[in-house]
Amino acid sequence: MTITYVLMQNLRRNPMRTLLTCLSFALPMGVFVAAISLIVAMVKLNALNAAQLRLAVQSRIALVNALPERMRAEIEALDPDKTRIRAVCGVRWFGGRVQNTPSVIQSLGADVDTFPLVFDEIGWTDAERESWAKDRQACVVGTNVAEQYGWKAGDRITLESSVPPNLALEFHVIKIVTTEGRTNSLYLRRDYFEESRRTAGFVTPGCNLFWLKCSDLAALRALQAEVDPRFANTPNETKTMDENAFMANFAQAAGDLPGLMRAIAMVVVFIVALVAGNTMMMSFRERTRELAVFKAIGFQGGRVFRIVLAESVILALVGALLGIVPTAAALLAFPLKRLGFLPLSSLEVSPIAIGVSIAIALLVGVVAGLLPAMQAYRLNTVAALRKIA
Amino acid sequence: MALPLSYHWRNLFVRKATTALTVLVIAAVVGTFAWVIGFVAALNRALSVASDPRKIIVLQRGGTSETNSAISPEEFNRLTQLTDVERDPDTGRELISPEMFWQTQLPRVRDGGATRANVAVRGVTEMAFLVHRNVRPQGATISTGLPEVIVGLSAAKQFSGLNIGDTLRLGFAENREFKVVGYFSADGGPMESEIWAYLPLLQSAYGRTGYSAASLRLREGADPAATIAQMAGAAIQLSGQTEGDYWRSQSSMVRIYQGVCYVLIGMMTLAAMFSIANTMFATVAGRTREIAMLRTIGFSGGQVLRGFMLESTLLALLGGALGCAACWAWLQFVGHTKDMFGTSTFTAMAFDIRMTPVIVLISLAMVAVVGVLGAVFPARRAAQTQVIRALREE
Repeated sequence: MTITYVLMQNLRRNPMRTLLTCLSFALPMGVFVAAISLIVAMVKLNALNAAQLRLAVQSRIALVNALPERMRAEIEALDPDKTRIRAVCGVRWFGGRVQNTPSVIQSLGADVDTFPLVFDEIGWTDAERESWAKDRQACVVGTNVAEQYGWKAGDRITLESSVPPNLALEFHVIKIVTTEGRTNSLYLRRDYFEESRRTAGFVTPGCNLFWLKCSDLAALRALQAEVDPRFANTPNETKTMDENAFMANFAQAAGDLPGLMRAIAMVVVFIVALVAGNTMMMSFRERTRELAVFKAIGFQGGRVFRIVLAESVILALVGALLGIVPTAAALLAFPLKRLGFLPLSSLEVSPIAIGVSIAIALLVGVVAGLLPAMQAYRLNTVAALRKIA
Repeated sequence: MALPLSYHWRNLFVRKATTALTVLVIAAVVGTFAWVIGFVAALNRALSVASDPRKIIVLQRGGTSETNSAISPEEFNRLTQLTDVERDPDTGRELISPEMFWQTQLPRVRDGGATRANVAVRGVTEMAFLVHRNVRPQGATISTGLPEVIVGLSAAKQFSGLNIGDTLRLGFAENREFKVVGYFSADGGPMESEIWAYLPLLQSAYGRTGYSAASLRLREGADPAATIAQMAGAAIQLSGQTEGDYWRSQSSMVRIYQGVCYVLIGMMTLAAMFSIANTMFATVAGRTREIAMLRTIGFSGGQVLRGFMLESTLLALLGGALGCAACWAWLQFVGHTKDMFGTSTFTAMAFDIRMTPVIVLISLAMVAVVGVLGAVFPARRAAQTQVIRALREE
């Protein structure tokens, strides 16, 4: 008689309970895998961003306050030998949308000369670099945006800016960006944007943000401390943050979704632990005598311990898989990345998230089975056999 | 005669550990449920205030919000052509309020200033108080000559540096000092998260001569669609939206978020139901002889069925009460303030999540239904107990 056989018999003995336990395990685990996917995606994105060694310099007062173009040269002058700053790229919010559609694409004008240097992770070919430099109407589009509107490289598109003077400009898609974390935005050339603004009577060029690409982490920390004092007591005081700190401001304002997901994940773990513990206690209580019989016919304490523990772990695993597989499949079939701006759009099922979910389920199974298994191990055979259940 | 309530109540405590675990599962689900319902209710309360059907928000053509709209004084003056605008009965002036909309970053109170929120600053004239009927200054209001601001109650509570007497630095270089002289309420609507200053002073602080947007009040019974169409026409060339439509578009992002919360909560509620069913099956199985006994002394199958339903509902309500208490404690001690971006205003809308009696009632009603549904099959099994066989069992 193998452990497997005993296990299967035990699980089949009360099929209703096994089913209900699996279901009440599966549903929260489905929620859990979604929540943890978002957290994993955010952590991964943060790590990717941190590896890019970029600093964001914005107006201390508000992002909408544009900083004058000349500040780029002033920032570059902080490092005349070019040992710490690789490049500085000014960006200005364009906020374009396809005419007669309500949703605004995260679109920004970027400095033509330094954009490919500061955002080099998006993987430029020489030809793409050349068309970016030569074609004033060039734009690079994140693959999610491109998919949503059915654009491909080589297309001509017209976007209407949602900020005054609400220019409707034509662009040429020269590149589709598939690099993780860069798939929801569109970059166009700021010189073309500024020139069109000037024609419309908006004569002061400016940037909402300067991105500094640093050569190493020490340089990044040092520059972060240097930029703000450089502009202190000028009309354009700045606030300098690394890329993750800059993004965190948006996450907070979008309702702190990662925080909510963490809270939900914790509640779910709490719930499944209780559900599993409850089932194991019920089935142990019903089978006290049976376990005593096992011991009486010669099963060692360790083996009985394993039988009880294994049952709990299997229940947890089956329940978890029942929850994880459909959720993961659903998220793969209907990716949320289409939603655009939200932090929610970075939710993608990753192997890590599935791994974490299964690990948590295993852990819950072990913890829930531990107490009944210990009781089974210590079971006083004679007393249990004598007791009338 | 039905089974007495005390019988079921005492039964819940026969298996203390199982009951306790089930109650905790339900409490966790109900606690989360109450929080989400509270969140949605808080948001809806704020937005429902901002849906005056007689108020039109005027933006530049192509603008999506007051943040990214600009209207020149000439364009603003064209609005006087509109035919259906309400007039002030005292002065006869048309109720059209020119407004400038900007933002400043202020530390959030709830995390001790670790993150900062974009707080809306609105430059207004005395006309604004006639158009935005629900805005009521509490005490002092802005004077037309001094650099003063009044602050919405939510903003004062959630962002630091906005108490009466504080000095707020505004302007491109934050070189203009405005004194906070009073608070205002707006029935809890989005405007309560704003800071209001006198328009010309704010324009001068930011070196502007134009406006961002305008708001106007329609005559009683006027058709908003006709006015909006007139505004879009060649003579005016501005875009208008009713206040309700405007805020609906600003909260579109939040709606998606809300939908996600509903799905999560729904799944967890189902899990709680299965958990109750599981516990009730175990209860019924463990009490087969007792049930047979009840049947023998004259209780009908229906009474036993109802009895177990009742027991399950008691169990669920116990968990529900604990969950509501936990949610209340969380809001009380961890935090009940929240703010969110408008989809394209990019300014924070602050609101308070509160445990109102309505939310408690909804949560308890939900959990009672879950308790009843979870008990249907176990209770039926109890009612169908074969009396003779059960009594004969060892």
